[in-house]
Amino acid sequence: MSIATGQVADALHEATSSRRVNLLRRVINHRTDYLYVLPALVVMLVVIAYPIYYTIELSFFRTPANLQMQDKIWTGLDNYVTVLSSSSFREVTVNTLIWTLSSTLFAFLLGLGAALALHREFVGRGILRALLLIPYVISAVAASYVWKWLYHSDFGVIGALSVQLGFSDRPINFLDNLDSVLPSLIVVNIWKEFSFAMVMLMAGLQTVPEQLLRAAQVDGASTWQRFWHVTFPHLRGVSMVTVLLLIVANFNSFIIPWIMTGGGPAGASDIWITQIYQIAFGRQRWGVASAYAVILFIVMMTLGYFYVKALTRGDESRAG
Amino acid sequence: MSIVAGTLERPDVKKPIDWWRWAGRFFLAFLLVFTVLPMAWMVLTSVKSQFAAMQYPPQWWPAEPTIENYTKLLDPNNKVGQDFLKYFWNSLYVSLATTVVGVAVAVPAAYAFSRFRFPGRTFLFFSVLVRNMFPAVVFLMPLFLLMRWMGLVNTHGSLILTYLTFGLPLSIWLLKGFYDNIPIQLEQAARIDGATRFQAFILIVMPLSSPGIIATSIFSFIGAWNEYVYAYTFLSRDDQMTLPVGIQRFFTEFATDWPGLMAATFMMSVPVVVMFLVLQKYFVRALTEGAIKH
Repeated sequence: MSIATGQVADALHEATSSRRVNLLRRVINHRTDYLYVLPALVVMLVVIAYPIYYTIELSFFRTPANLQMQDKIWTGLDNYVTVLSSSSFREVTVNTLIWTLSSTLFAFLLGLGAALALHREFVGRGILRALLLIPYVISAVAASYVWKWLYHSDFGVIGALSVQLGFSDRPINFLDNLDSVLPSLIVVNIWKEFSFAMVMLMAGLQTVPEQLLRAAQVDGASTWQRFWHVTFPHLRGVSMVTVLLLIVANFNSFIIPWIMTGGGPAGASDIWITQIYQIAFGRQRWGVASAYAVILFIVMMTLGYFYVKALTRGDESRAG
Repeated sequence: MSIVAGTLERPDVKKPIDWWRWAGRFFLAFLLVFTVLPMAWMVLTSVKSQFAAMQYPPQWWPAEPTIENYTKLLDPNNKVGQDFLKYFWNSLYVSLATTVVGVAVAVPAAYAFSRFRFPGRTFLFFSVLVRNMFPAVVFLMPLFLLMRWMGLVNTHGSLILTYLTFGLPLSIWLLKGFYDNIPIQLEQAARIDGATRFQAFILIVMPLSSPGIIATSIFSFIGAWNEYVYAYTFLSRDDQMTLPVGIQRFFTEFATDWPGLMAATFMMSVPVVVMFLVLQKYFVRALTEGAIKH
């Protein structure tokens, strides 16, 4: 009797004490699950969560150059004002946009063309794909030095070739010219990353149903129509992910501009990342650099939101 | 099915000229030239003497090829060779350690994300995913301070720890994709036969996921081998430097010996290119994992 009452009381209690207990119970039931995640979680807290928190905190302080952080002074939003109102901010932002958008656009288009051309089986296809992927695999440092040598103002092979072929009467100074420096760096970046888009889109092409393409062919659709109405719609998901990943990578790229020009000449190839690095480790203005980083971080989070959406949308369509 | 399709397709191969196919061929030829020429010029320059490289118009083909630039780099008896070999060893050590630690920590986490449905799983997993969107610079300043506080500046420990910021989330993400593709029924069968959940994971799933672990390891290794920003910021002592930072230091000091620099970049690229070529299948799979389900 008393046992039964106890049980009823328990049940009542459970029902009333909301979902919090339920969650707690689920956590407890799954407690061994967390053991698997724990090591990763600890590492991520130290090397990811803490730095993000600290960057945000620093962005509200004026910090001494010698990095004695106990001497930092609260300044509110001053650092943000400094960043947004600085004379170079507009130019650097324009450079960043040009750099990011044109690198992404051309890398994607070259990758798409390569993926379509490589989709058909032919002799040497595997070797060709491997060769095209090498720039993506090697370090950006190596790529930067190689291209710096190719662009060399006196002995560079590109300048010499353009003289030989009659495009110019003397070697061109690619990297010391305000107008040509950014496009020259973008070419290097495209060289480095177009094959990433190629591989992604090649994998995407394998999901296009052959029967559909054949049916379209039987119905008299031209090659272009088959691409536009059959192939491309199937590539939409993977294209989205590829473009987003390219945008993020380009927004965050540092090595190519840093090694090849250091942002110069006269800031003509300065982008957000090189600027932040300069402010932090060159001018030692940690607070301002942190504010800049937080702004970048917000942009990235917005892109990240779309990235996650693109990925999960793929999940739903696969399920459906 | 594919045989039938093949015989069906054959008749229209005889159509006049497939312009699209020719356009594709030209495009590929263009891309091949665009990709290979810079690398070829790197190799050609690396077998020239300093004098031969600094000529205008350039020697298109080295008149007196020499491997002196390479022997200099690999000769432990001179200063340049000593430094280069030291950097090479440092890079190898840091990359291997990062890979081993990263994969060891990522394997159980990825497995849990793939199999278990614990509260907070979705949130945690997406925070792992979104990490890939952050630039190194966001982490650079706080990590630099953290390393200083821990007394790790100028040590390889600082690099191994910071390389986990990009290595670990990526490894978890890749491995989860591989675990998702291993049928859960295998573990269920093992559980029915009396294995514990952990035994099923170690004895059944781990061996099956070795391709995934290989793919993830390559990715992690290449990422660490090529890393520049952290190494550039955290290391100032010459004997600690990794290759990407090291070659910069000693070649700009001597007013840029271009053939030597090209030889060094070539040597630096060899390990990752060889690794990529041997394990290409895994590499490509890891690259596209997540965007496309297999």
